[in-house]
Formats: sequence, structure tokens, C-alpha cells
Amino acid sequence: MFLQTLITGLSIGGIYALMAVGYSLVFSILNFSNFAHGTIIMLGAYIGYFLISSFKLGFPFSFIGAIVGAALLALINVRLAYSPLINRKAPPLYLMITAMGVSIFLENMVYVTVGSHFYSFPEIFKQSTIKFFGSDISPLDLFALIFSFIAIFALHLFLTRTKMGTAIRAASYDMTVASLNGVNMNKLIGIVFILAGAFGGLAGVFLGVKYMVYPTMGWITNKAYIAAVIGGLGSLPGAVIGGVILGVLETFVSVYVSSVIRDVFSFSLVILFLVILPAGLLGKYLEEKV
Amino acid sequence: MSLLELKNVTKCFGGIVAVKDLSFSLNDGEIAGLIGPNGAGKTTVFNLITGVYKVTEGIILFEGKDINKCDPVSIVRGGIARTFQNIRLFNKLSVMENIKTVLFREANYNFAQVLMKTPKVVKMERHLTERSMEYLKVVGLEQYANFRADSLPYGLQRKLEIARALALKPKLLLLDEPAAGMNPEESLALVDLIRYIKEQYNLTIILIEHHMDVVMELCPRIIVINFGELLIDGSKEKVQSDERVLKAYLGEEYANVAGN
Amino acid sequence: MEYIYGVISVIGIEIIATVGLSVFTGFTGLFSLGHAAFMAIGAYTAAILTYFYNVPFILALLAGMLMSALVSFVIGFPTLRAKLRGDYFAIATLGFGEAIRVILENLSITQGARGLPGISHFTTLPVVAIFSVIVVWMTRNFILSKFGRNAIAVREDAVAAEMAGIDIFRVRMLSLVYSAACGGLAGGLFAHYLNFIQPAMFTSILSTQLTSAVVAGGMGSLTGPIIAISFFIAVPEVLRVANMWRLVAYGLILVLIMIYRPSGIMGYHELSFASFKNLFNRKAANQSAGGRRM
Repeated sequence: MFLQTLITGLSIGGIYALMAVGYSLVFSILNFSNFAHGTIIMLGAYIGYFLISSFKLGFPFSFIGAIVGAALLALINVRLAYSPLINRKAPPLYLMITAMGVSIFLENMVYVTVGSHFYSFPEIFKQSTIKFFGSDISPLDLFALIFSFIAIFALHLFLTRTKMGTAIRAASYDMTVASLNGVNMNKLIGIVFILAGAFGGLAGVFLGVKYMVYPTMGWITNKAYIAAVIGGLGSLPGAVIGGVILGVLETFVSVYVSSVIRDVFSFSLVILFLVILPAGLLGKYLEEKV
Repeated sequence: MSLLELKNVTKCFGGIVAVKDLSFSLNDGEIAGLIGPNGAGKTTVFNLITGVYKVTEGIILFEGKDINKCDPVSIVRGGIARTFQNIRLFNKLSVMENIKTVLFREANYNFAQVLMKTPKVVKMERHLTERSMEYLKVVGLEQYANFRADSLPYGLQRKLEIARALALKPKLLLLDEPAAGMNPEESLALVDLIRYIKEQYNLTIILIEHHMDVVMELCPRIIVINFGELLIDGSKEKVQSDERVLKAYLGEEYANVAGN
Repeated sequence: MEYIYGVISVIGIEIIATVGLSVFTGFTGLFSLGHAAFMAIGAYTAAILTYFYNVPFILALLAGMLMSALVSFVIGFPTLRAKLRGDYFAIATLGFGEAIRVILENLSITQGARGLPGISHFTTLPVVAIFSVIVVWMTRNFILSKFGRNAIAVREDAVAAEMAGIDIFRVRMLSLVYSAACGGLAGGLFAHYLNFIQPAMFTSILSTQLTSAVVAGGMGSLTGPIIAISFFIAVPEVLRVANMWRLVAYGLILVLIMIYRPSGIMGYHELSFASFKNLFNRKAANQSAGGRRM
């Protein structure tokens, strides 16, 4: 029972981490909470679903299609909605409100166009389970967990080993200095959103396969945001650790206490964290420059 | 007794030492210039005195009391006010309201009275308006009272910041580059203003400034810091003729020219 | 005619909630994603008191306000104390809204998700009119006092406000408690207008509507949000649009306002006789900041 819960928690945590990465990437360079990221994840799930069920593309191609589609949507999102504000150096609060607006707009566009049906992905993995020390593990959970960590590790390599990745990390420390050193900010922001969107698409498909595809599935992403906050907004390892911690704790709470209070628990946890560790586990706590 | 005393103050940000083992003290009624090259840690010193940053080591005494552990609000209320290098006004409030805001402690009405708008509230508000006008007159901004703060030209915004700091009724006033962006005539007028408010309100002043003429005109005593460390603390004549200062502050080349 | 009265009543009730939120979001610069929860607390408290305990309507409304204010204190104390970034507070309010929903759906006295039917119809148009005029007037007094100026100072520049001796935590707390109390009052009125409440009424749709009205009307204006919320309620009634299309529009409005006119339709000004005069006196209108005077 314990092991089973732990494994379920880890696989949920892996998906949280995948989603949290998108929040953290954007936050690290633009210093605002991109609440539209959840909607991008939801749209990624829809793209994946329609590619696989209506266009019969097969899982691998639908998977890639969802990733590319979500990345493009994220790019369109930043170019249309955020760039005008970024260019005139609007305060982060304004960007956050815009992100809220984008999220409300897109979510309800899905409602009025696609409708509020719940779609479930066709069976990809056999329903059979793998036995592991007497606990059942679904192959899907295992695949999601492993794939999530591979993807995040790849992102880590990209950020540390490539020129563009270094530029992104430089910009996360000081955008002005980075742009003075010849980094093309517009391009860099675009790449960051493409990355965040791609991870969102990935997470969206996993979420859709695990649960279902429906317009308000973005609600789950709020918890990924919480994971990012717990880990320290703007920190990539923080997002991963936060995601895993939240996923595991939450699963334990819903198994051993009550599933009704699971979400309330997560939000209380984040408040507790913010009070004790305002910068999260690994976040950079910025003393405001005076 | 000295009004302000820094004893071996050190401030680190992560691994970077912004202020290192800095000690100086200031007597009541003194006006001192705090100078040094860009990045020497001048503003950090102000941030430490006003409690925005906490010192890593050392102590800061104000009127003999250790203010290290005080939060910024109680430090201000204790009598230290400041202006900011990169002007920080309440932009969307009017010039007058900027002053009225900081006079809030003079308005002794409570929240219930406000909601009911009792005659006391009306009377107190009128009183605050008159009081703010006094401060605006001191810096010569009375005709701009109803302008929005961010609609003022740069020079006037700096004056408004000084008026706002004055309205906090400080004993110690910290001015962070008040003459930045001003032309020579404006700087001259500013010198007169600072001299006037110092006498009028019995202030002790520390002035960070890059306009050397302003510093030399106002400050009999000058504290020079470089890389967060005290370079020299003395009379302006002493500082003016000190070679290390010229080197650190004006650069090697100029120092040679000036030395001749 | 009855229908029009109904629409006007709803507008009046929502004006009370909007004005409260504008103190918190517009004037103090903090963002709430769960303001409907305060309306829910006020609605349930007042309704339970009149329905089960026969408490007089006015006392029940006051109790609803008080309860809302108390709860806001509980959520605000830890989150505002730490001087957190605005985004963090926003996510905390989101969680708070969720917690309130879970509680309402699981308590026996609230009768869970089925809701409370048969609440007496005490909220008539004159009642709404009186309350909304009082609340708007009091809020205006608030904004034009030292408390209002301190709130704006904190919104404009928290560091400078602190250096001016303003206790940021107390200022934010006061704004939160005030706006929660307004929300609670609006909720209480709402319950006794509809005669029926259930947790599903106080969802993010309502929160979004209030927030959009404040942002669109102008963060720093009282009349702006009042005009905006009136349009937001009246226009869909006239056009008979579905709820979801409303939300599509709110989302779009938030984005467009932030891109093209972040200060909202009214900017930092108020609609008043003085501003009409200013129209004819262009120079004064361009230079003076007197717009804040109502």
C-alpha cells in the first residue's frame, strides 16, 4: 500500500514537474507568473487527442504534434499578448493580468467551440500492470515518469551546454546586461516560450492520457504552479523537486486522509511554504534594488 | 554624543562584499558628503542605515541606540529620512498628496470616522493640506500642488522627494544624488535649498553626490569610500588634496594633472 | 418592468462587491483570484441566520460582513505578512476559493452542493439602492482619507512607502478586510434576492467578472469599475448571450485593456461634474491631477 502510493505519487509528481518547468522558465527571465501556461497545456492535450483519434496519426506522431502545436501556441501567445507589454517595460502585475486574460479567453473559447465533453485517449498502453515488489505499477505511469525526467534532463543540458542556453541563464540574472552584451531579447523570449510550450504539450498529453481531456483540465496546472513556487519560482531543479514533493505528499494525503481535502492541502502547503521560505526551496530571493 | 555611528559595518550579498568594515560617526548638526566612484557602495550604506538591508557584521547606532534589528518603518519614525537615487515618488498621486501621504501620522482620526466622514476628518484633512503646503513652499513647488507627481520635470521631482523627506520630520536626512540630472544653475539653487532646510529644521545631513561643486560648496567634511571600504574621512581641504582620492575617484590621469 | 428591476438590483449588488474589490486591487495593487469566496461566506452566513434562526435581515447582513472580514483576516495574515509578491498572494486566494467551496459542499448546515432554497426575499430594489449608495459613499471617503492615500502609496512604490513610515502589512490588511466585508455584504444581499444559494454560484466566473470590471474600469478609479460592472451585467442581459461567451469577452477585455489602455477606461480619474468642466477647460484637464477629487 505504502509503496503503491509512493509510486503513484512519484508519477503524478513527474507530470507536475514537467508542467512546473514551464512556469519557472518564463518566470526566470520575465519575472511574472504566466497563468496562461495551464491553458497551453490543456490545448496541447486537445491537439494530441484530435491527432490521434480524428486524424489517426498514431501515438508517436500525435505526441510530437501536440508538443509542436503547444510550442507554437505559446509563441503566438507571447507575440500577440505579452510582447507589447514587455517592450514598454510594463510592471509584472500587468503581465500577470494579461496572462489571466489569455487563460480565461482560451479556456472559454474551447468551451464554446469544442464543447465541454470529456474525451479520453484511445488505449495506448495495455491495461495490464507490472508487478514490482508486490505493488501494481501501470506502464503508463512508469513511461510518464521516465520520459518526464529524460525531458527535463535534456532541458538541463540545453541550458548548460549550449550558447543559447547560456544566454537564457544570463538573461535570468540580468536582462539589461544580457541585452547589452548582444543577446537578442526578442528571440530569446521567443525561444523560452517555445520551450515552455513544448514542455506544456508533453505534459498535456500525459495528463490527457492519465485523466481525460476537457476544457477545465487546466485547473490541475494550478498545482504545478504551486509545485514551482514550493521549489522556488525561476529555478529548474526547484521545479522538479517541488513537483515530486507535491505529487507524493498529495497522493499520501488523498490515500491516507481524504481525497476531498487534497487540493485544499496543496494550497495550504504552499501558503505554509511561502511564510517560512518565501523564495521556495531553491529560488533566488531577490532583495529589491533600492 | 554623535547622532549616527557606524562601527565596523560589513554587508555581503552572497559572496560579494558591498561594504567592508566601515566605521564613521556623525555629530548632531553636521553635514557630510559621502563620495566615491560608481559602485563604491554609497547607496548600500544608505540602505543599511535605513534598514532596507540588514548588516552582515558590525553595528549602527542612532542616538546611541542600536538600530540593526529595527525594521525600516520604525527607523523612519525614529527620525531618519531619505531620498532615492532613482526618484521614487508616488507617481499617480498629486504633488500635494505625496506630502499629505507621509503626514498621515498627524491625522488623528480613526477608520470609523473616515467612513462616516465626520467633521473631525474634514477638519484634519484641511489641516493636512495646509501642512503640506508649508513643505511645498519650502522647496518652491506650491504652484504645482495639484499636478500629478509624474508629470513634473525631473528637477522638480527631486525637489518633491526632498519635501516629502522633510515632511517626515527627520533628525538625519540622507540625500542620494539630489543634483543628478540638474544643470549648473539648478545645482546652485539646490545648494541654497539644502543649506536653508538644514538651518530651518536643524538637520544632520549625509549627501551622496557626483557633482563635486555641490559637495564642496555644502560639506565641510567628506567621507570617501572605494570598493566598500573607507578611503579617507576628513575635512574637504584634506580630501581635496589627497592623492588617493583623486586616483580612486577621478582616475590616474586626472590625478596627475591635478597633482601638478 | 419586474425584469428591469431585477437587472438593476443585480447591478446594485455587484457594484458593492466591485467597489470593495477596487479598493484591494485597484487602489492597493493586489490581485485576488477568489473574491467570489467572500461573497459566498457573506451569503451563507446571512442566509443561514435568517433561514434557520430567524435573525433580523439587517443583523444577518452585518454578521455576513463580519464573517467575511474575519475569514479574510485569516487568509491575509500569513500571506500579506510575509510581504509576498503579488502573484503569490493571487495563488493563495485561488486556493482559498477552492477551500471555501469544499467546506460549503461538505458542511451539513449549508446542505452541501444542493444549496439552500427558500431564503426569504428581503432584498428589494430600494434596499439594494440604499446599501450601494452607502457603500460607494463610504468607499469614496476611505479613498480620500489617509488610509486611501497610504494604500495608493503602497501600490505605487512599496519601498518608498515603507521609507515614509507606512506599515505595508497593515495597509494591505485593511484593504483586504474592507473589500472582504463589501463582498460579504454583497453576498448577503444576493442570497436574499435570489432566495436560493448553492456553492456552484460562487465560482471563478463571478470572481473573473469582478476582477475584469476593476481592471477595465481603471485601477485607481471608483466610478470606472462601477460603470464597467454595470455594462458587464446589462449588456449580456440585453443581448442574451450565454455565460461562456461572456467569459470569452472578459478574457479578451483583460488582454486588450492591458495592451492598449492599462489604466482602464477611466484611468486614474473619476466621472464627476468637475471632469465635465475640465472637458471645456482643456489646459486644466491636461495638467491637473485634480481628477481624483470627486
